[in-house]
Amino acid sequence: MIVTRGLTKRYGNSVAVDSLSFNVSPGVVTGFLGPNGSGKSTTMRMILGLDRPDAGSALINGCAYSELAWPLREVGALLDAKAFHPGRSARDHLRWLAQANDIPPARVETVLDVVGLSAVADRRAGKFSLGMGQRLGIASALLGDPGVLLFDEPVNGLDPEGIRWVRHLLRDLASEGRTVLVSSHLINEMALTAERLVVIGRGALIAETSVDDFVARHQSEAVRVVTPTPQRFVAALSRAGARPAVNDDGSIVASGLTSADVGELAADQELTVHELTPLRASLEDVFMELTSASVEYRSHDHGAVPDALPTR
Amino acid sequence: MTTLPIAAPRATRTDTPVAGSRRWRAGLSQTMRAEWTKLASLRSTRWTLLITAAGTILVTFLASHGAVHHPKGWYQGFDPTNQSLAGLAVGSLVLGVLGILTISGEYGTGTIRSSLAAMPRRGVLFTAKVAVVGLSTLVLGEVLSFLSFFEGQAVLSGGAPTASLGQAGVLRAVALSGAFLALFALLGLGIGTVIRHTAGAIAVFAGVTFLVPILFNSISHGVARFAPELIFANSIAAVDRQSNALSVTIGVVFMLVYCAVALGLGAALFDRRDA
Repeated sequence: MIVTRGLTKRYGNSVAVDSLSFNVSPGVVTGFLGPNGSGKSTTMRMILGLDRPDAGSALINGCAYSELAWPLREVGALLDAKAFHPGRSARDHLRWLAQANDIPPARVETVLDVVGLSAVADRRAGKFSLGMGQRLGIASALLGDPGVLLFDEPVNGLDPEGIRWVRHLLRDLASEGRTVLVSSHLINEMALTAERLVVIGRGALIAETSVDDFVARHQSEAVRVVTPTPQRFVAALSRAGARPAVNDDGSIVASGLTSADVGELAADQELTVHELTPLRASLEDVFMELTSASVEYRSHDHGAVPDALPTR
Repeated sequence: MTTLPIAAPRATRTDTPVAGSRRWRAGLSQTMRAEWTKLASLRSTRWTLLITAAGTILVTFLASHGAVHHPKGWYQGFDPTNQSLAGLAVGSLVLGVLGILTISGEYGTGTIRSSLAAMPRRGVLFTAKVAVVGLSTLVLGEVLSFLSFFEGQAVLSGGAPTASLGQAGVLRAVALSGAFLALFALLGLGIGTVIRHTAGAIAVFAGVTFLVPILFNSISHGVARFAPELIFANSIAAVDRQSNALSVTIGVVFMLVYCAVALGLGAALFDRRDA
C-alpha cells in the first residue's frame, strides 16, 4: 500500500508536483499516467526518499521509506534504465544490493534467471543494450521479493517480446497480492496492463479511478454530419439538446446524441444528410484532451490533434 | 523467454520483519559489506591498485637510484627514509582520485539511487563509505609504505647511507606515511561528495593538496608548507625535517582538520541534497 498526502515538490519557481494525494492498493496494477514532464518520476523519487518533498508525505505500508527496516525486501523500484555502474557486472551489481539488505545470495541467481540475464551476468553492465539494462533494473527491483513495486516507464527500450513479458510480469506480481505502481505516458499501454489509474498533469491529480471507469466516463460519443444546409442543421441539433460544432470543412460534429437520434432528427426536420458517421474518440485522444491543459512541453503542430474530436 | 516463473520466488520469500523493530534492520555492517563489494568489483579499482603499486615501486626506484654514488659532501643532511618514501606521492594522488571516484562515480552513473534505495538512512551510507574507503586504503597505504621503504633501502645500500626501522623516528615516518595515504583517499571522498562530478572534484583535489598553496607561497611565504602534499613529503615522511617544515604533530593535526572539513561538509550536503 502506497499513500501520498499533499505531496509537493518545487524547483525554483516551478511546481513539479502539486499537492498530490493518491493511494495505490495491493493486488492490482496501478498505472501512473501523465505526459512527459508531468511529475511522475519526481513523485516516485519522493516515495523512495531520494528527493525531499517541500510539503506532504509519502508512506509505504504506513512508513516513510527511510524508516523501512529492510528497504529492498519491502519495496522494489526500477527508476531509470541506468541505476548501475557500467564497469560492474550484472551479477556483482545484484550481489552488493543483496548484501546491503541481507538477502540470500541465491536470490541473485533466481532474479537473473527470471529476467533472462543469466547468460550475460558476468558481462560488464555498460555493454548492455537499453533493453538488457532495463531487465537488470527489473532484476534489482525483484531482488528482495518485495510486496511493493514501483516501475518508472518499464517498457522503455524493450522490444515487443520484452514489452509483452513486462506486462505479464506486472500482472503476475499484482495477482500475488503485491502493490504495483507503473508509470507511463502512454495510455494505451496502461489500458493493457493496469486496472487502476492515477492520472496527473503538471504535477496535479487529474483522476484516480479504475481503467474501466476512466474509459466509460471520458470516452464521449459524437456524430459527424455532412449536410448542404449546415446552419439549419446546427439550429435543429441545438434545439434537440446536442452540442454541435462546425468544422473548417463545413461538416458538423454533434456530441450528446447517438447517430440514430441524429438520423431521426434529420427525417423529422426534413434536412438533407450526405454523410452520418458515429465517432468514438480513442483512449489516446481522451488522454490528450484531458491533459492538454497541463502538457508541459507542447508542440505547436495542431495537426497532431485528430479532427475526429468534437471542437469546442 | 515467453513464460517466466515469477511466481516461484514466493518460496524464497524473505520474511519481512515488523516495521519499527530496531534490532532487525539493515545497518552499518550490511552497508559496509555492500560498499566493499562495490569497491572490489569495479575494474577501475583494480586499475587504480595496479597504477598505484607500479607507480610507487617505479618512482621509489628512480628516487633511490638517483641518490647513490654521489660525493661525500652531497649526503650532508641526507634522509634515506625520506628518499625511499618519495614514491608515495604517486599513491597519494591516485588514492585521492580513488576516494573521489567512489562517490562521484555513483552520481555519474546513477548508482547512487540504488545505494540509497538499499540504505535510505544517508548517515549510515556515508559512514559505511568512509569506513570502507578509509580501512582499505589504510591497509594498502601501509603495504605500499613499507614496500617502498625496503625497496628504497635496498637500492640505496648500493652506494649511499641507509636507514633501518630500528633507528629513531624511522618506523614512525614509514607507518605514518602509510596512514597518510588513507587520509588522502578520505580527503578525496569528502571533496567528491561535495562536488559530485569527477573532473571537477579532481581539479579541486589537486588544487587544495598542492597547487593553490604553492601558488600562494609567492605572496605569503611559508603558506606552501600547509599544503597536504608538502606536509606529507616534508613532515610525515621525513626523519630529519628541514627547518621550514611543520612538525609531525602539527602536520597530522592540519591533515586531520582538512579531512574533517571535507568529510563534514560532504556529509551535511549528502544528507540534504536530492539524489
